[in-house]
Parts: sequence; structure tokens; C-alpha cells
Amino acid sequence: MSDEHRPDPDEERREFREERESLWRITLAPATWVAHFVASYGVVAVTCAKAPDLLGAARLGLGLFTLVALAIILWLGWRAWRQWDVRNTGDYTNALGEAEDRHQFLGHAAVLLALISAIGVVYGTLPVVMLETCR
Amino acid sequence: MTANTTDTGRRGGADRGRTGLLLLTSVILAGCEGQQSALAPSGEDARVLGNLFWVMLGGAVILWLLVNGLFFYVTRINRAALSRRFANGLIVGGGVIFPTIVLGGLLTYGLSIMPDQRAPGDGLTLRVTGEQWWWRVEYWPEGAETPIVAANEIRLPAGERSEIRLDSARVIHSFWIPSLGGKMDMFPGRETRMSLKPEVAGRWRGQCAEFCGASHALMAFEVVAMPPDDFNAWLQAQAAPATSPTTDAARRGARIFAREGCGACHAVRGTGARGAVGPDLTHVGSRLSLGAGTLTTTLADFERWIAHTGAIKPEVEMPGYGHLGAAELADLAQYLKGLE
Repeated sequence: MSDEHRPDPDEERREFREERESLWRITLAPATWVAHFVASYGVVAVTCAKAPDLLGAARLGLGLFTLVALAIILWLGWRAWRQWDVRNTGDYTNALGEAEDRHQFLGHAAVLLALISAIGVVYGTLPVVMLETCR
Repeated sequence: MTANTTDTGRRGGADRGRTGLLLLTSVILAGCEGQQSALAPSGEDARVLGNLFWVMLGGAVILWLLVNGLFFYVTRINRAALSRRFANGLIVGGGVIFPTIVLGGLLTYGLSIMPDQRAPGDGLTLRVTGEQWWWRVEYWPEGAETPIVAANEIRLPAGERSEIRLDSARVIHSFWIPSLGGKMDMFPGRETRMSLKPEVAGRWRGQCAEFCGASHALMAFEVVAMPPDDFNAWLQAQAAPATSPTTDAARRGARIFAREGCGACHAVRGTGARGAVGPDLTHVGSRLSLGAGTLTTTLADFERWIAHTGAIKPEVEMPGYGHLGAAELADLAQYLKGLE
């Protein structure tokens, strides 16, 4: 065994740390969806109860927040897509329990979560767009 | 022989089953019509809700056929393994893209009809308070400072949108006239609102739609939409005090009404009866139902109601006056029926 192929004692720890981070990362898209959902309901409810005249401004603000939320989710989804790397590996399911498989599987899960979060944000925005009054 | 008998028996059973199914279908379909059906709309709001129901039902049937057709295809018609490409396409197309678009479309359609369901009224406001188990009704024409009080019947001008403000005395009720619009809950101490626009003159039935105690099922009311001129004339008549009894029997009935203390709970405007515990009886004789949609307003039903109140309407607050003789009950019924 040559020196080059000797396992780096820190490699496993580094890899584990990376996995731990991407485990956190898969929660970020749903968390963005949650923030958008709570903000939409909360802002409209408080505005309609306390200052109905400001509803137009509130809806505009929520519209802008929607764009920011979608941009965040898109960026997270894009990173997750690269982590999944399905175009190169052709491996959809990542059935093996190896480090690389786990890495790609977390990417796969994050892509799906980003997708459903984006749909959730769009659906959550529809009432803000379509219901024009506090009635 | 035995086989034959069994066969005949089986065929007979099948025939009976078919007849039963036919009967059941006609019963179910008949249930879609009538005075209290969201599927036979006569109000603007009920029509929108009816359309929503049919669109959703149509969508559900189409999706059911697609899903089960696909299931039938892969389990019965083509049992070979699908290609990976096709399977993935099916999952992404049929499982993600298609439902997202369909649900998005239905959500948009549903949201588009919501604001108009709570449109403001044209002028007339009704305040309806849920009691156990009847409806206190006040009419507030535009600019009115005091209400015109009635009970257990809702009259509306046809072709106009009336504002309806809802409240409750003790427990949660729900105000629902299926033929005219959606339902709205009534909470003690918190006013809710709705509005209704009957498209034509007609008569329907409303019902409390939130369980509210022993006689919840007997908490109903008649609904009448009248041409606006007729409605205004009717409302003016409702605002007037009670007419004096004209026959001897009715006069005796009025004395019994006073003697038995009915006025402690019921108001008959223009007389000493000013109670506000039970329904206002100033024009009870011209109403279409008695006991909140439970009995008709014939003399016989007035007598039944007064003598057997608790048997007709369990746990009702009004005591029965069964101790009155038949003659006195008849006189009392004459008096009340005369309050038109």
C-alpha cells in the first residue's frame, strides 16, 4: 500500500460533517414554505383586524416575499440537484448504504422537498392574489 | 331439480336487488329536489355553490376513472414490466405535474367565487338570534332606528340582496337555507354575517345546522321570498300592533292568555303582554309554522302545541298547558290564530 492511498484519518469526520450540514439543508426549503405560509396568514389577519386600509400594501409586501421565498427555494433546489447528481450517475434510488449514496440520497430528498415547497408557496399565494378585500 | 330451484331463487334475489337499487336511486334523486336542497338552488349564492359541487364532482369522477383505468390497464390488460423511462414519466407527469395543475385550477376557481359569497346587502338588514330552539328575528329596513320583531320565519324581498347578522343566546347554532345559500355559524357574544339574494319569489325551509341540544332537529323555519312591493306591505303589517280579537271565543282566549301569565314570556304588541323570553306572538296567526318549523298554524296544531309542548319539542322551556280544558284550549287557539 503506497502513501497516497493511505486513508486520511480526518476524511471520515469531514465527510460526516458535510452530511450533517446537508441533513440540515434539506429542511430549509420546507422551512421557507412555513415562513411564507405563516407570514401570509398572519399579516393578512392582523392587517384586516387592525388596519384594513393597509391591505393593499400588505398584499404587495407579501407578493415580494413570495418572490424572495421562491428564489430561496429555487437556489436550494438547484444545489440539491447537483448533490443528487442523477444526470451523471444515472442512479435514481441510491440503494447502497455508502457515504456517496447517502450524500446523493440527501440531495434527492432535498430536490423533492424543494419542489413541493415551491408548489406550496405558489398555492399559498393564490388567496393573497385573488381575495382582494378583507371580506 | 334442486339446482333449478336454487337458480330460480337466485334470479329472484337478483331481481329484488335490482328493484331495490332502482327504488333507492329514485329516493336519493328525489332528495335532490324540494324546499331544502342545495342541489335545487333558488338563490344567487346557492347557484354558485351548486355549480361548485357539480364541477368538483365531475373532476372527482374523471380522476377516479383515470386512476382506476390505469390500475386496470397495468394489472389486467398489459401486465408486462413498464420501461423505466415510461414509469418515471408517469410518476413525474401523473403524480406531480398533472395534480399540481388540476389542484391549482380548482383552487383558483374556488377562490374566485369566495368574495361574492359575502357580498354586502342592498338595504334591508335582518338580525337573527339563535335560541334553544327557535329563531328570534328582527327586520331593520334601511335607516330604521327600531326593529320590527318577528320569529321563526324569514321573509326576504326577491331579487334583492339582504344583509343577515347572526348572533346566538347560549350555545352555537348554524343558520342555513340550503336553497338560497351557504351556512353560517351563530356564536353567543360574537356577531357573524352573511347575505342572501333569492332569485325568484318562493317558499323554502331553513334548518339549524349545528347540534344545539335535545330539539336541535326541530329548530327549523319557513323562508318566503316575495316581490319587493308585497314584501314592503307585509313588513308594514308586521310593524303594526296586534289586532283585537273579533269573536267571543277569541276574546275568551285573550283573557285566558292573560290569566295564565303567557305574557311573562311572550310579547303581543298592543296588549299588556311584553315578555321577551319566547317568540313574539303579535302576528303568530299569519305565520306558516308553529314551534319553529315543527307544526302548522291550524287551530288543531295550536291546541296540540299549547297542551303538549314538551312532548312535541323535548326539553323546550315553555311548560305544557294540558291542565286547561278542551274548551279553554280551543278558545286560546282561536285567539292566537286570530293574531294575523
